[in-house]
Amino acid sequence: MFMSDLQLDSASRAERSVAVSVRGVTMDFGSGSPAVKDASFDVETGSFLTILGPSGSGKTTLLRMIAGFQKPTQGTITIAGKPVDADPPNRRSIGMVFQKLALFPHMTAAENVAFPLKMRRTNPAEISGKVEKFLNLVKLDGYAERRPHELSGGQQQRVAIARALVFEPELLLLDEPLAALDRKLREEMQLEFRRIQKELGVTTINVTHDQREALVVSDDIIVMDQGLIQQHDRPVGLYRAPNNLFVASFIGVSTFIDGTLTADGLKVGDLLLPGSATPEATLGAPARGAVRAEQLRIGAGPEALAGCEIEMDGKVEDVIFEGERLIYVVGCERAPDIKFQIYHHDPHSFDIFEIGSPVRIGWHGKDMKIFNHDA
Amino acid sequence: MNNPTVDRTRFRYPLRWRVMDSLEEGASLIWPRSLSRHTGWLLLAPALLLVGILVLGLVQIAESSLHTLDTSTYLPSENYTGENYLTIVESATYLRILWRSLLGAALTVVFTLLLAFPYAYILVRTSSALVRKGLLVILFLPFFIGQVVRAYGWLIILGNSGAVNEVLGLVGVEPIRLLFNYPAVIFGLVQYMLPFAVLLLAPALTAIPQEIETAAGSLGANWLQSLWYVVLPMAKPGLIGAGLVVATLSLTDFAMPAMLGGGSQDFIANAIYDQFFRTANQGLGSALALVLVAIGSLIVGLVFMIFGAGTLGMGAKK
Ligand SMILES: Nc1ncnc2c1ncn2[C@@H]1O[C@H](COP(=O)(O)OP(=O)(O)OP(=O)(O)O)[C@@H](O)[C@H]1O
Ligand SMILES: [Mg+2]
Repeated sequence: MFMSDLQLDSASRAERSVAVSVRGVTMDFGSGSPAVKDASFDVETGSFLTILGPSGSGKTTLLRMIAGFQKPTQGTITIAGKPVDADPPNRRSIGMVFQKLALFPHMTAAENVAFPLKMRRTNPAEISGKVEKFLNLVKLDGYAERRPHELSGGQQQRVAIARALVFEPELLLLDEPLAALDRKLREEMQLEFRRIQKELGVTTINVTHDQREALVVSDDIIVMDQGLIQQHDRPVGLYRAPNNLFVASFIGVSTFIDGTLTADGLKVGDLLLPGSATPEATLGAPARGAVRAEQLRIGAGPEALAGCEIEMDGKVEDVIFEGERLIYVVGCERAPDIKFQIYHHDPHSFDIFEIGSPVRIGWHGKDMKIFNHDA
Repeated sequence: MNNPTVDRTRFRYPLRWRVMDSLEEGASLIWPRSLSRHTGWLLLAPALLLVGILVLGLVQIAESSLHTLDTSTYLPSENYTGENYLTIVESATYLRILWRSLLGAALTVVFTLLLAFPYAYILVRTSSALVRKGLLVILFLPFFIGQVVRAYGWLIILGNSGAVNEVLGLVGVEPIRLLFNYPAVIFGLVQYMLPFAVLLLAPALTAIPQEIETAAGSLGANWLQSLWYVVLPMAKPGLIGAGLVVATLSLTDFAMPAMLGGGSQDFIANAIYDQFFRTANQGLGSALALVLVAIGSLIVGLVFMIFGAGTLGMGAKK
């Protein structure tokens, strides 16, 4: 099938050692269904894992259990080979950057960074050396004497990172620390996280609900929904070969088509659409196909759709201008209930189809993923 | 034309706005709009007036402190003299009372803050609504009782045949004199001040985000280190504010030394009372009162100078 090329360098993976191991971890607050259900995964030493999921999916709860702020109802967490279930947070070697940063307002940037070293009774000379080194690492030399309220949002972020890293923890945990920043600064800080993480080689677990951030910064991504791990994969694998409908709809923009799975593809009314079914999808059962917006083609006539196995006529119903690209919403007579969402990006032409113009759309059969779908 | 739906969607001028309009109109008759930039002063005026009257009273007291009591006529002397102040400074009794009041205030501040801090901390941080409500009720109960009744209550409980001694008697301990000594006064003062201190500390502790303490923990601080390096420094404005209020209230307290001290543990306020209402020596009483005002102002002034008014959360200055 088409997925084989996506299991990138799986051989080199096995050689690395495991920094964090989570086994059968469940957290039940006793109100409704558990916040985290039977989570098991490993994080390789030196890698950057992102836990991605919608609000309330249990990301923070999972992270807090790893940090030691919450005791799992069930399961075991191992850090650097040692089970840490009995260790309080201050005895685990973990640096954490909080959503609201939690810088100490009465201390200068340098004192904030020095704090974890002081708590570990490091000698003063060593403290000042390390504080300097880490302020330098986050490009804050010259700001040492400033209080948090005298720093910009991005600079405060940097202090928080330096403070979480200065004592050289085994593990760095990030709980959506970028959520409050504006988009430009957020993207800058994402790359900054990435750079620092690579420079120090510290194992990092990052929590976010921003799929872009997850795809950009991570070595591995875990997608969570309703307390369950939906998929654990590399970014490319996750994007190109989602395990299930939830992952397919949570990441990227797709058009969904409901039908019945047959040996030759998805049967929708009298249409038969070829596609690649997931192993779980059963023949003859209700199924849902998904095609990514960038895999759909749009043109004035058939000539624009060279190589597409599926083609149909449609009419533009809406045009959304996003700057670098357009999103067309197209309706087709042959598939009346479906609104196709199509990215259009043509650097050589500024032509825009108006609302109501007739167009022709199409896609490659292999680009449609077919999932089990209990209608 | 007369479509009823138009009527329903029409903007209706709220009654409250109409009332405000007429009030504004009335106000502009008394206080023309052109004067509106002075409105701030107008609103401040009543408070300034009250303080002004107090200052007038102080001036009068200052005046009478400069006359000695003529023991032959029981009238204040005609001429101005600083003799009353000399009497205070030269009298071992008054110096002892002064010292006792100052030390009492200091001890009360220390013990009250030591007790109030954990109380306020748990009040703010507990996740159980029941515990919080319970703590609040216990805190406010003494307020409704009043100082004199409360002191009387302690007389009953701590007296020679009171509840405490009775319990001690059950285990074979001879009755102990628990009342009419210095510790009893301090005890009463601390108990009296505790609610004030907790109420002043609670907002200061609420202002410290829980996440800050969590962060301190994750960075390696145990609870003691987190208290010492993070919570206490961040609670400083509250601690100073509470300390000041407790210090001034207990320095000038009358009822606790009078009732739980039984006349042997007088504070300045008791000495002033004696001069005014027992000896009828207005001059000496006034002098004592002024000394008390001076000491109180000095303490407040010193605290402001050391920590800055900003530490109390009064104004932007850091
Ligand atoms: N202390 C708690 N007591 C009871 N329920 C809790 C507690 N903390 C979290 N929950 C519940 O557990 C579920 C998962 O919460 P969690 O904070 O882990 O979500 P999240 O994925 O981090 O969401 P967000 O993106 O909004 O931060 C939610 O339904 C939440 O209501
Ligand atoms: Mg969260």
